[in-house]
Amino acid sequence: MLSNLVKNGLCRIVGEANCSFSREELLCYSYDATNTLHQPDAVVFPSGPEEVSLILKMANSEGFPVIPRGAGTGFSGGSLPVEGGVVISFERMRKILEIDTENLVAVVEPGVVTWDLQQKAEKLGLFYPPDPSSLKFSTIGGNIAECAGGPRAVKYGVTRDYVLGLEAVLPTGEIINTGVRTAKGVVGYDLTRLLVCSEGTLGIVTKAVLKLLPLPEATVTMLSLFSDMRDAARATSAIIKSRIIPSTLEIMDSVSIKCVEGFAKTGLPDAGALLLIEVDGHRAAVDAEAEAVRKVCLESGAKEFRRAADKDEVKDLWKARRAVSAALYKARPGKINEDIVVPRSRIPELVEGLRGISERYGVLIASFGHAGDGNIHVNIMHDKETQAEAALSAAEDVFRLALSLGGTISGEHGVGLSKARYLDMELKPEAIAAMRKIKEAFDPRGILNPGKIFPTPPGRKAAGSAVVL
Amino acid sequence: MKPLELLKHEIDKCVRCGTCRSTCPTTKVLGVETASPRGRVSLVSAFSKGEIGLSETYLKHLRECTLCGACRTNCPNYVDTVSIFAAARAEAVEKQGVPLAASLAFRGLKDSGGIVGIGLKIASRLQGLLFKDASAGPGLVSRFSLPLVGNGRLVPPLAKTFFLDLPEIKSLSGAGEGNRPRVAFYAGCGVNYLMPWVGTKSIELIKRAGAWVEVPGGQACCGMPAYAMGDLASAREMALKNLEALESSGADFIATSCATCGHGLKAIMPELLSDDPALKLRAEKVASRIRDISELLLNELGFRGKGCESGPKTIVTYHDPCHLGRAQGLREEPRELIKMGKGTVLKEMKHPCLCCGLGGGLMYTNY
Repeated sequence: MLSNLVKNGLCRIVGEANCSFSREELLCYSYDATNTLHQPDAVVFPSGPEEVSLILKMANSEGFPVIPRGAGTGFSGGSLPVEGGVVISFERMRKILEIDTENLVAVVEPGVVTWDLQQKAEKLGLFYPPDPSSLKFSTIGGNIAECAGGPRAVKYGVTRDYVLGLEAVLPTGEIINTGVRTAKGVVGYDLTRLLVCSEGTLGIVTKAVLKLLPLPEATVTMLSLFSDMRDAARATSAIIKSRIIPSTLEIMDSVSIKCVEGFAKTGLPDAGALLLIEVDGHRAAVDAEAEAVRKVCLESGAKEFRRAADKDEVKDLWKARRAVSAALYKARPGKINEDIVVPRSRIPELVEGLRGISERYGVLIASFGHAGDGNIHVNIMHDKETQAEAALSAAEDVFRLALSLGGTISGEHGVGLSKARYLDMELKPEAIAAMRKIKEAFDPRGILNPGKIFPTPPGRKAAGSAVVL
Repeated sequence: MKPLELLKHEIDKCVRCGTCRSTCPTTKVLGVETASPRGRVSLVSAFSKGEIGLSETYLKHLRECTLCGACRTNCPNYVDTVSIFAAARAEAVEKQGVPLAASLAFRGLKDSGGIVGIGLKIASRLQGLLFKDASAGPGLVSRFSLPLVGNGRLVPPLAKTFFLDLPEIKSLSGAGEGNRPRVAFYAGCGVNYLMPWVGTKSIELIKRAGAWVEVPGGQACCGMPAYAMGDLASAREMALKNLEALESSGADFIATSCATCGHGLKAIMPELLSDDPALKLRAEKVASRIRDISELLLNELGFRGKGCESGPKTIVTYHDPCHLGRAQGLREEPRELIKMGKGTVLKEMKHPCLCCGLGGGLMYTNY
């Protein structure tokens, strides 16, 4: 609970109209896409770094948690106020400040929706590639905090690869600038990279300098159907091995396809698995690459292959693809949503392994995701009443499997709450200790987004419910 | 119409993924979670569990929704958000009554005798729909913002003669000789009170397309404004009146020129009467004959715009009303009609599907 002193202080800093303490409004800032609820004690809507700085200074002197929040659409609980405190919402800071067409740089406030930046850049013939499935509603600030990826990562990389510099407020209230707005820069430690993916635990981003690319001239979208996940996995490895880097190489299994078939007007075919593939670049090169992809797919056992007929079909296919994660609840009420990554050549082994886990625990495993970069969204669908424990054990086995294949337990969702308990499966104690030291150096009082990555006792308790959605 | 307690399953279907933040027009404008469908579902969920009461804040956010249906159309889990919000509003009205401006209007619109012949009595009541009390002093302030008068506020004037009172409408004979389709025209409040010329032009077009037209008596307001505000008792009364008025017409189709009336009669009328299976069945039969004017002309009567002259090149753009595009799935038909004009060029606007801002009762509470 916040004292009246703190409440009055918050009102003074951001203005009364920009703070909420009512039960109803707090409720709307108590969840994210993990669908778990943790009510904050206040929500504030600052308009600039100075206000954020004053709030953090007060948090240090008065000792209350501060939790930064973009759109609240994360999958690991990064924006959940597990210990209460003050949620800083960036919904008011949503300006695209600058698009520098000479230097291919954009400067934005953290509340800008990723899609809005992309649309604006495209109009100028430019391209901001990171495309998490939530791109139409998640924000750049949240994307930076979690280092969001997306289908295009296979060719273009993830959010981290496009952040040149940041303006950020440290947990102790200092406003700093990191990085550059040039193509190169090596002065001092790379605090930009440290802040990207720090899940809002080391600082609060208030402005971002982002790298843009020229918009590719042409894109070809293709759909390849397989009767079995194993064939689709083999085709994926074969495409990468043939030295083609598609701009997108997405996989969906039959459960995922069924859950979103209504989303594509053209209908999604009844298939055991499908690959949604895009190649982009110069028109002539793209056609040649598309042909090469077709050949590889057919050689790997595709039972059907086609190019999307028009823009509407492309839009439809993507709408369906982006709806998969939320739509899976149609299959079973309980879902454990993991985003492991394995080396691309080992996807077939992963598929085999998942089949075994599914049989061993009697849970339904739905897989889809970014096969092109080895990042597969493994969803353990189960009955919450009777299978919760089996599902958790299955999840642990999925992590073990990913690690044994040389992979990682999270590719783009982040640790947050839901993976905190598994941190030591992947990281050595020495590495975790080094990370803790960094956290303590930045945030000695532990007021910024507590309970995440390295769980505090309340964080650990919250993690239990956040894992099983 | 399902009460809130029966929609628990629908509420629980929301997994809070946040997709609706990108589709809701009010989220786009207001920019905050409390103005998002996900936020509203969370509020209704908390209300239905007794965690929050009928507070001012709750009602404010609940009534900010326009019921346009964009969130429902794009929801990965097909959560029936519109029914959830309508039921929550109904429950609020049941416990607390209808907001004043709306209640005055509804009382007028369902008055005995339907909307025919109520004349000035209802006109004066309708002012409640168009105006609100000026809080700073005496008089009425316009609820609509249209360019024309003074500082940009315009009151849409009530028609001198209401559509249903026009002599040419009263003297319409309906079916004549020859084997032509028969169409019954449903006016609705907009056409009757504010824009009678839309009705007369519609009838002219239907005739030109080769059908007989009649205007059944006893028509009432379609009930959508009352439904949107949660005044289900008024909405149901209106639905019953319309059922009786339209059922007796033996026409092949019942046409309306209003997107909201079309949606109201097609989808909401049967829902409002669903508490009585026999009534529901009758309502569904009537609903199956309802057509939007564009749908009727193009798909049923095969109208091909013979002899449409629009003079020199005219650029026309088109805005999809939520209740036509999203609710009835009619996007192409109006555009086809526009393109039939010789010299008419259809140029799409930037966001043709963005809500106009007045739907779902928003104008009663937020203007």
